[in-house]
Amino acid sequence: MTVNAAHRVEDLLRELVPQVLGTLVRRHGQFDACEDAVQEALLAAALQWPAEGLPDRPRSWLLAVAGRALVDQWHSESARRRREQTVTALDPAARGPAAGDPAAGPDGAGQPTDQDDTLVLLLLCCHPALSPPSQLALTLRAVGGLSTAEIAVAFLVPEATMAQRISRAKQRIRTAGARFELPPEPERAQRLGVVLHVLYLMFNEGYTTSSGPALHRADLTGEAIRLTRLLHRLLPGEGEVAGLLALMLLTDARRAARTDADGAIVPLDEQRRELWDTAAIAEGITLLTSTLGSVPVGPYQLQAAIAAVHDEAPTAEQTDWPQILALYDVLAQVAPGPVVTVSRAVALAMVHGPTAGLALLGTLDADGRMAHTHRLHAVRAHLLERAGDTAAAHECYLRAARMTASLPEQRYLTLRAAQLRPPAPPADPAG
Amino acid sequence: MKYMIMMFGCVGASMQTRTPEWITGLHHLVQKLDAELREAGELVAGQPLVDPSRAKTVWFRNGAPVPTDGPYAEIKESLAGYWIVEASEARAVEIASQVVAYTEQPMEVRQVMDEPAQL
Repeated sequence: MTVNAAHRVEDLLRELVPQVLGTLVRRHGQFDACEDAVQEALLAAALQWPAEGLPDRPRSWLLAVAGRALVDQWHSESARRRREQTVTALDPAARGPAAGDPAAGPDGAGQPTDQDDTLVLLLLCCHPALSPPSQLALTLRAVGGLSTAEIAVAFLVPEATMAQRISRAKQRIRTAGARFELPPEPERAQRLGVVLHVLYLMFNEGYTTSSGPALHRADLTGEAIRLTRLLHRLLPGEGEVAGLLALMLLTDARRAARTDADGAIVPLDEQRRELWDTAAIAEGITLLTSTLGSVPVGPYQLQAAIAAVHDEAPTAEQTDWPQILALYDVLAQVAPGPVVTVSRAVALAMVHGPTAGLALLGTLDADGRMAHTHRLHAVRAHLLERAGDTAAAHECYLRAARMTASLPEQRYLTLRAAQLRPPAPPADPAG
Repeated sequence: MKYMIMMFGCVGASMQTRTPEWITGLHHLVQKLDAELREAGELVAGQPLVDPSRAKTVWFRNGAPVPTDGPYAEIKESLAGYWIVEASEARAVEIASQVVAYTEQPMEVRQVMDEPAQL
């Protein structure tokens, strides 16, 4: 089998995961057991399909194998199952006598569609009772179809840790009494907001790792984009879903230019723009234009619009900073917060000079929310450098370097600081 | 046998007087060593830590735990990062020596205690 064909099998499998899992949970309840069964079916498919070719009906094949895995699991643990069944809160909503019966009939008329199932799954994995790391891990496994080992690698933790995290997450969902159904209408917007935030975190985790050696882990960014694309297909009318997808595409488009051969950070104004992914930029901009103006504008759309202005500039000097500043002004109204203020200060400095930007940053000094991030100091250092205050810029770069938990950023900031110093005296051997 | 190789200090203290070339040289040295240890299958674990100035220390004062800002030891004596390698003591010392030759700062090499495998 060619590499391409192997990729096609994997793509197909990953696409079928939420559909198969959704169907299984509707038939049998017990999200956690079904989820394990689907992972087993995935493993079997990954072994058999490349060797024996695709089955005629891949989805039914997976359902059958997962169903058998579920029965095996029940047989070997029947005593435990009976115990669990009495306490499980996650029985299928409004389901008849078929619950728990692996021989339940095929999907009948009036059944919820695969699309509904996938959305319900996403909402379930991003349940508010879970911590963000657990939401991320469970989403990657149950909706994304990644194995525990793959997720562990992506988050740089031992596989046993990740297995435990996922199993605890499923337990929590059961304890929280979550059902496999869409949340009631009043809650839905808020729950969708959590899903978007989880996808945003997944993307960021991959793009700027909060820790670890590599600046971006392409697997997580790619997976975040794939899942957001899936969500956009399910909810094409949701402007913020389209906005988030556009934001990811427009940001990820710069990936190849973001680091040099050594893995060191290249700031936006020094990036080789010919390395940017023009197809991703075009797709992001198309998405954005199709939603802007037609729906109430949200923070993801605005951030995407800002990314688009950067991406459309042929050179750093030609960036339309007044446009970016105007967008930040709106963002500061829609979603005010210290992080937005810091970014807005950069735009302000580019339009009205570094002093104006520094004055805005000054308003954040008393903000406790910024006490533990390096970004305020890093941006201040840049603006001080542009203002010609080398000594203060040097001090600020070092302060930012001391605060960051990202190794590449620490290297970048330390280097910027060192470049501002006059040639150093010979190093003191005593240190 | 496993040995932990420990590096001390912080960005502020050790980098302030260095040239960009020196800093880049150190990054290259550490990256190269890290890659070599990985490829040779010698590396068991290894992580850099955030700057010691960001540490919190939990003290026991007046009968209760009290967290304070800052590391337990002096900043330049505080742990900055470590490697755990599966190697002889001589080899672990040799690995540390490669970094010390460049930084002129001390490193500590200490054997990891054996423990029964967890089942």
